[in-house]
Amino acid sequence: MSKMMEETERVIEQEEEKEGLVKEEIWSWGAGTEGQLGTGKLQDEHQPQLIHSLSSFTSISYLSCGGAHVIALTPGGRVLTWGRGTSGQLGHVEMVNCLHPKYVESLEGVFITHASAGWNHSGFVSDTGYVFTCGDGSFGQLGHGDYVSRCSPVQVLHFKTRHVVQIACGMRHSLVLLKGDTEDLIYGFGSGKRGQLGISDDKQKSLSIPHVTLGLENVKIRIIAANGDHSAAISLNGHLYIWGRAFCGASDVYRPCRVTADLPLIQVALGWNHALVLTGDGEVYMLGRYNYNVPTGIQNDNLMKHISEDEAVMQRVIDFDSRKVVQIGAGAEHSALVTDDGSVMTWGWGEHGQLGLGDIDDQTGPRIVSLCNEQSRKPCVGRVYCGSGFTFIVRT
Amino acid sequence: MSYDDVEIEDMEWNNELQAFTYPCPCGDLFQITKEDLKLGEEIARCPSCSLYITVIYNMEDFIGDSKKHVEPSKQQPIAVA
Repeated sequence: MSKMMEETERVIEQEEEKEGLVKEEIWSWGAGTEGQLGTGKLQDEHQPQLIHSLSSFTSISYLSCGGAHVIALTPGGRVLTWGRGTSGQLGHVEMVNCLHPKYVESLEGVFITHASAGWNHSGFVSDTGYVFTCGDGSFGQLGHGDYVSRCSPVQVLHFKTRHVVQIACGMRHSLVLLKGDTEDLIYGFGSGKRGQLGISDDKQKSLSIPHVTLGLENVKIRIIAANGDHSAAISLNGHLYIWGRAFCGASDVYRPCRVTADLPLIQVALGWNHALVLTGDGEVYMLGRYNYNVPTGIQNDNLMKHISEDEAVMQRVIDFDSRKVVQIGAGAEHSALVTDDGSVMTWGWGEHGQLGLGDIDDQTGPRIVSLCNEQSRKPCVGRVYCGSGFTFIVRT
Repeated sequence: MSYDDVEIEDMEWNNELQAFTYPCPCGDLFQITKEDLKLGEEIARCPSCSLYITVIYNMEDFIGDSKKHVEPSKQQPIAVA
């Protein structure tokens, strides 16, 4: 992108700001020792922190949080990253941590519409359907046909002539969603050891070239998700498909398996040992369980209700005082949601303050996060995004 | 309670830390050194939190020639047709 275009865009963004079109608040909390909270400090935060560095320079339309880094997209398709950068996952060329949001220069001039932050790698999708990846490539998770890490986003040539719409990055693998005229296709690459690529009936070693995920023929896909060694997709008609590492100690699933649910689902969020799904009616269900030091009995007795008698895999997360849930997020071992009245609730593992409740306690059920400023009392629409041990919200 | 059981082949050798590592859900890394493994230690700890994992490995693989590279440090390139 030329200097002039860059200048023009910057001016446009400045004008947008002047007109008051932008002004969402960005808050973060939890593990922060790699700079992932964007606070400019290398420390954990147990309470929500308002991130001035982000709100001050541009509007943010989308966030994705990984192992210890964050990708932010602006409405104009520009990309900011910060946090851990030692594997090249920030795309800043220099493989170092970055405490403040910084534009990814090599993507300037490309309009990025979707992005995903994995454990130590990143994926970006452009409006023209191109895919770019950077970061740790040891398991082939960058999709370039090798096992080399990249410090700056590189186009995945396998999809050069295809139209990609989404990417999802897990711990050591990636998924890509292609929208076709007649059918949608999901491709997987990276580690397939737990079945997370869904490309065969057996476990796979690492694959550095994208392969088509099986068992989703003639299924129209709404969203794909990846975290830990898990993969998931939700179809347009509201079915959930999961593959990869087993939940609850069952066997790993090597190709997409439809989860029995009578309710149409609209969102899925994956942790390392659990998954959340959101129904069209605003209810949240959880698969699997948290896997930290909380005794299993306590987890299951509190606030969870079994709905599936045959397998008891899906449990309803209750106690929202009749509020509906509009969005969900999952970190490695914690969960978060936004209700229709704009409240943010969190539960799960809390050792790094990732629940934002002011302490480091674990919570077996949803608790309201309070944001300490005047504006927080205004009605708002928020979105929540979880990284492994930290949490972000964007409020407009 | 151990967070997870992880096979040594799924851990990555980290030159800087001089340890085998595996991602910790907090964002840091579970770590165990070759010396630990030689002594039969099977717990890899995360320096940032209370969690730890159990490493599954053969102690014999780490006893003897300490210079021998016992485990691949990272996934080796695999030819893909």
